[in-house]
Amino acid sequence: MNIQEFLTIFISAVFIYNVILSRFLGLCSFIAISKETKPALAMSFAVMFVIVSSSMITWFVYRFMLLPFNLTYLRTISFILVIATFVQFVEMVVRKVSPQLYRAFGIYLPLITVNCAVLGVAVLNIDMFFLNGKQVAGSFYYSVFQGLCVGLGYTLAMLLMSGIRERLQLCNVPKSLKDFPLAFIIGSILSLSFMGFSGFSR
Amino acid sequence: MKNLVKEFTKGIIKENPTFILVLGLCPTLAVSVSVANGIGMGIAATFVLLGSSAIVALVRDFIPDKIRIPCYIVIIATFVTIAELCMKAYSPVLDRALGIYVPLIVVNCIVLGRAEAFACKNSMARSFFDGLGMGLGFTLALILISGIREFLGSGQILGHALIKGFEPIFVFGMPSGALLVIGLLLGFFNLLKNRKA
Amino acid sequence: MKNNLIVSGSPHIRKEGSVPRIMWTVAASLIPAEIAGVVIFGLDALWVTLAAIIAAVLSEWAFGIFTKRKITVLDGSAVITGILLAFNLPSGVPLWLPVVGAVFSIFIGKQVFGGLGQNIFNPALVGRVFLMASWPKYMTTFPRPFSYDAVTSATPLAILKEGKILEHISYLDLFLGKRGGCIGEVCILALLIGAAVLLIRGYITWHIPVTYIFTTAVFTYIFGAGQFFHGDWLFHILSGGLILGAFFMATDYVATPLTAKGQIIFGVGCGLLTAVIRLWGGYPEGASYAILMMNAATPFIDRYTKNRIYGSK
Repeated sequence: MNIQEFLTIFISAVFIYNVILSRFLGLCSFIAISKETKPALAMSFAVMFVIVSSSMITWFVYRFMLLPFNLTYLRTISFILVIATFVQFVEMVVRKVSPQLYRAFGIYLPLITVNCAVLGVAVLNIDMFFLNGKQVAGSFYYSVFQGLCVGLGYTLAMLLMSGIRERLQLCNVPKSLKDFPLAFIIGSILSLSFMGFSGFSR
Repeated sequence: MKNLVKEFTKGIIKENPTFILVLGLCPTLAVSVSVANGIGMGIAATFVLLGSSAIVALVRDFIPDKIRIPCYIVIIATFVTIAELCMKAYSPVLDRALGIYVPLIVVNCIVLGRAEAFACKNSMARSFFDGLGMGLGFTLALILISGIREFLGSGQILGHALIKGFEPIFVFGMPSGALLVIGLLLGFFNLLKNRKA
Repeated sequence: MKNNLIVSGSPHIRKEGSVPRIMWTVAASLIPAEIAGVVIFGLDALWVTLAAIIAAVLSEWAFGIFTKRKITVLDGSAVITGILLAFNLPSGVPLWLPVVGAVFSIFIGKQVFGGLGQNIFNPALVGRVFLMASWPKYMTTFPRPFSYDAVTSATPLAILKEGKILEHISYLDLFLGKRGGCIGEVCILALLIGAAVLLIRGYITWHIPVTYIFTTAVFTYIFGAGQFFHGDWLFHILSGGLILGAFFMATDYVATPLTAKGQIIFGVGCGLLTAVIRLWGGYPEGASYAILMMNAATPFIDRYTKNRIYGSK
C-alpha cells in the first residue's frame, strides 16, 4: 500500500477517467439533474455516500462470500441486490431520523439504485484490485478510496455542469439544441478540457 | 396480431429508447467506439430485454407492489448473468471489449424502464414484442452512433477501410467525441421533430 | 410591450466603445504578432491565418442564415476567433485544418450557446483542443523558425517534457521568437505591444493576465526543478502559449468572471492548472486546457464573488 497508488487513484478517478465525462457512468442523472445547482449538489452528496458505502459492502461480499465458495459469477446479482437493499435501508433511516433531510435528499435515493456509477464502481474495484482470485495488497483501502474519488469526480462534473446550465438559462440557445443536446455538447467540451490531465506521470 | 406488430415497431422509431426516450445512455456512449461492439452490446441488451420483459409480464400478478423494483432487478440480473456467462464462454473478445458495461446492463434504464412502464401492466405476448422492438431500436441506435464514430475516428467500418487516404479524426474515438455525436444527433432529431409539428 | 424591455444575461459591456469597435481594436492589436509570425515562419503563417479567418466568418454567416437570426459577422468577433485559432496552430498545417477548426470554433464554441455574449468557453480554444484531439500529429509538428521550408524542430517546452537538455536558447531568443512554436505564440515582443494597446484603451484589465502569469511563475519557481525553489520561472513565462493565452484568451469578456476579485481567482486558477500540466502532465503545454477549465468554473466564481446588493446582508 503506497501513497503513489492513492495519488494515482485520485487523479485518474477525478480527472483523467472522470466517472461521467470519461466512463459515462451516471450519465442519466448527470443530464437530468444538472440543470440547477441545488439538486445537483444534493444528488452528488447522496451518490458519494452510496458509492463509498456500497464499495465497502460489496468488497466484503466478494471477498468473504463469493470468492471462498467459487460463486464469483453471482457477482452482478449479489452486488445489485446489496446496492438496492442498502439504498432502501438508507431511505428508511433518513425518513425516520430527519424528515427535513428526507425532503432534501430522499427523492433522489431510489434513483441512485440504478445509477450506473454505483454498480460500475463496485465492479471496477473488483476488476482493478483483485488479481487471479486473490486480493491485491491494500485492496480494501484502494477500493474505498476509489469510491470516494469517483464520488468527488461526479460532484465536480455535476457542479461545473449545473453552473454552466444555470447561466445558459438566460441565453437564447437554438431551439432544437435546448436542454439535452446542448448538455451533451457542453459535456463534450468539458471532456476535451479534462484531457489536459492525461498522461500524468509522477 | 396487428396490436403486437404495433408494439414491435414503436420501439424502433416513434419511441426509440435512445433518441426519443433518452434512456440507457451510459453503455451507448461507452461501447459505440466500433460497430462490432455496438452490435454485440445491442444483441446482449435485447436478449436481456426480451427475457426480463417476458418474465416480468408473466409473474406480474404475483409480485407485491412494495417490493416490485427489487424483484424486477433480480429477474433482470439473472438474465444479465446468463448473458455475461454466455459471452465469456463463446465470445471472450467481445466480453473483454465491452468490459464492465455488460454487468451494467442490469441498471440500464431501458431494461428497468420497460419493466416498470410496460411489462408489469401488459400480457406476456405484448411485453415480448415490446422488448423486441425496444431492443432492436436500441441496437439500431447503437449501430448509427458507432458507425459515425468508427468511420470518422478511424476511417473504417467493421474493420474495413472505406475511403482511401481519409485522415481519421481521432477525437471521435474518445469520450469527448461520443458526447459530441450524441448531442448533435439528438439536436438533429429534435429539429426533425420540430419541423413536423 | 414585449420590445420595451430587454432582458439579457451579463456581462453587459459598459465601455463607451460599441462592441464592433472593441472587436476591431482587438483584431488590430493582434497584427504585430501576425507580422512576427510571418517573419519567423514564412508566408505559410499568413495562409493559415487567412484560412481560419475566412472559414470563421463564413461559418458565422451561414449559421445566421440557417437559423434565421441576425447576421453578426460585421461585429468582428468571428474574425478575432479566426485569428486566435490560427495563432494556436503550427504554421505547417494543411489548410483544411484551420478551416475545420474555425467551423468547429464558431459552431460548437459559440453559436450553440446563442452567439456572442453567451458562450461559456473561449471559442478559439474550443477549436484548438478539438484539433489537438483529432489530429495530434499535425498539431505537434512545428517548422523550424526562419528556415521557411519543411524542416521541423521541437518547441522548447516539448524538449523539456522529454527530459532533454535545452541548448542554444537564450531568454532573448524566447522573447523575440526565435524558437519553434505556434504562429502567434512565439514572439513575446509583438504580443506585448498588442496587449499594451488594449490595456491603455482599457479594453482588458490587468487582473487576469498579471495574476495568471505571476501564479505560473511562482509555481514553476517552487516546483520546476529537482530541488524546491530552483525552477526557471523566466523560461516558463516566455515559452509556450502563456503570454498569448494570458493576455488575449483568458481575457475574453464573455467567458471570464465579472468582478475584479473573480478575475483574480480566475487568473490564479489558470496559472495553477497551466503549471501543473506543464510540470507533471502528459502535454508539454497546458494553457489551453487550463483556460477552458477555468471558463467552465466561471459561472461558479461569478456566483460567489458578485458584489453585494446594497442593503442585503
